[in-house]
Amino acid sequence: MAQPPTLSALRSLVAARFPTASRKQLGCVPTGIAGLDEALGGGLPAGRLTELVSEAASSGGQLVLTRLLVATRAARQRVALVDGADGFAPEAVPADALRHLVWVRAHNLDEALAAADVLVRDGNYAAVVIDLRGIAERVLRRTPSPAWHRMHRAAENQPAAVLVQTPFALVPAVPWRLTLRATQGLAQRRRSQAELAAELRVETVRGHVATEEKAG
Amino acid sequence: MSYAVLRIPDFALQALRRSEPALAGRPVALIAGEGRKAVLTEVSPEAGKVAPGFTVTLAMARCPGIVLRVREPDAEVEAQRLLLAAAFTLAPGVEATAAGCCTVDLQGAQPERTEAAVRQRLVDLAQAGLPARAGVAATPLLAGYAARAADPILVVRDSAAFLAPLPLAVAEPSAAHAEILRSWGLKTLGDLTALTKADVGQRLGAEGVALWERAAGETTRVLRLVEPPRSFVAEWAYEPPVESMEPLLFKLRRFAERIAFELRAAHFVAETLTLTLLLEDETDHRRKFRLPEPGADVESWLRVMQAHLDPLRTAARVAGVRLSAAPARPPAKQDGIFDTGLTDPQAFWENLARLGAVVGDERVGTPVRCDSHRPDAFVLERPSETVPAPGAAPLHPPRGPVLRRFRPARPVQILLEGERPVAVTGPVTGRLSAAAGPWRVSGEWWMPGSWAVETWQVELAAGGLYQLARTAEGWWLEGTLD
Repeated sequence: MAQPPTLSALRSLVAARFPTASRKQLGCVPTGIAGLDEALGGGLPAGRLTELVSEAASSGGQLVLTRLLVATRAARQRVALVDGADGFAPEAVPADALRHLVWVRAHNLDEALAAADVLVRDGNYAAVVIDLRGIAERVLRRTPSPAWHRMHRAAENQPAAVLVQTPFALVPAVPWRLTLRATQGLAQRRRSQAELAAELRVETVRGHVATEEKAG
Repeated sequence: MSYAVLRIPDFALQALRRSEPALAGRPVALIAGEGRKAVLTEVSPEAGKVAPGFTVTLAMARCPGIVLRVREPDAEVEAQRLLLAAAFTLAPGVEATAAGCCTVDLQGAQPERTEAAVRQRLVDLAQAGLPARAGVAATPLLAGYAARAADPILVVRDSAAFLAPLPLAVAEPSAAHAEILRSWGLKTLGDLTALTKADVGQRLGAEGVALWERAAGETTRVLRLVEPPRSFVAEWAYEPPVESMEPLLFKLRRFAERIAFELRAAHFVAETLTLTLLLEDETDHRRKFRLPEPGADVESWLRVMQAHLDPLRTAARVAGVRLSAAPARPPAKQDGIFDTGLTDPQAFWENLARLGAVVGDERVGTPVRCDSHRPDAFVLERPSETVPAPGAAPLHPPRGPVLRRFRPARPVQILLEGERPVAVTGPVTGRLSAAAGPWRVSGEWWMPGSWAVETWQVELAAGGLYQLARTAEGWWLEGTLD
């Protein structure tokens, strides 16, 4: 009885048949969080969507955003934040880590998706963060799948890494989905954010680091 | 080469076609008069064998699909303003010679540059839906003759050679003189100027001398210059009112083309655009677009306005539209050699304007913290074109989980034991396992808008960190610590 083809064999077959269809590896944007960068093979992949799910309250989603701002500021890269629920607090981030940020304060999900669609295609940003936490679950679940498909297509071959922050698994066919599970406690309030970020528990739910990506 | 004449053949018809997209590519004719006496005055090339002067019945028999319309004065005004705006981009001395015709004083301009500029302006006008012809010559009269013969541009360098083969009718003789000249066997301007001016004067008098001078291109005149526009506004009333985007966007494109011309002619760019939709119920919808990168690019303006109009639903049909531009001087800037710039500056500024159209101009930008201890005090500034080098690390870097705000803060009820909160009821409810605080800050106590707030960080027993605020009005849930 013939063995079923493995996933890697299928990938090789598709790559051989359609050589031009294979996606170009555009590099990645380190987040400054060791656990997250390790899981992603170096950082947020450029030209692709990465979904970061914060299932529990205070699981560190905002800390990830802050560390990403600090890391991209050090690298002098430009970042856009589409804030679906207008929750970003500038006073919680060092003033110098805001100078490369373009903050879009949307009123609702429709505005957030429309703004993200513009920014993902822009070409001037190293990272585009689409923060959909804080939007009602029933509203998020009504997001039509074609909107995400369009976002995937828009991100392809663009230099920006697209990070979508969600309260539950939302983005269909996303190449990378990671979940923050552990909840932080008040006892940690005196610790530096770099220490807290280093201890974040990131679980890879979907996606893998391909051999060539690791080599690159 | 001191004067240029820009001329729109069949001006009234072209102005009408420019204002109505449905007429593009169709046979169209303008009619004047009523009933059986109505005749065609201007005819589009698509109408084939139909010509001006035909009666309506004859025109419809020759071309069954022909669209017959009367003149549209508003469309002609708009087209004339576009023509003048294009002329002002060539030189400041412009005369509105006639409807669909203007004369530009090019004295002192470099001939090579001027000819290229006139050619480019004809291309621009054609793209804006107004195909024009241009004549360039030493006098306004000659330039006018050249504009009539041009296709699309004619530069007269040898006036005698140019004039000689033109028919006598070009010099516009009176009917009596035309008859006399025909009886003499004269057909062209060259035939007339072969006679001496004195001989013509002896036989036809002063009017004959003037005709001879026109035929020889000797007549010159002082242009009656018009002032360039001081405001950059366009307005249109729809009859009947419209309820879809297409006619609105079409008209906005036409407005934008003309206003962009006018701004360029005045060496201005647009800093803001104000769009007003006049609704059928006598209300209006107004939106001001702040352009992050001031400019005069029609396409980027339209993308910004369309981003706002796409999701817009008005309570009534749109009876009119008005577009105005606030002028500004073009920004002058020089970047540092080591600054990290933009990959595509045009896309960056244009997209910022589009984002402003989606969420509001005041909700897009780079956050800058205010010099105040007041909670949530910041302003959004225009993003810098370059990302400067990082500054020194802060002396007191932020610690602990990061605040994520609820805007506006949500009211909660707090159960206290002594001065410490022990339970919360509201958007989140439960007993608290820990509470840190209070941090008391206040400010502007010397002013009417003084404020004071007491902040607590709390942990729910069921999990989750929150920030509470206590003000004179009560307790508030400010956000989560994440």
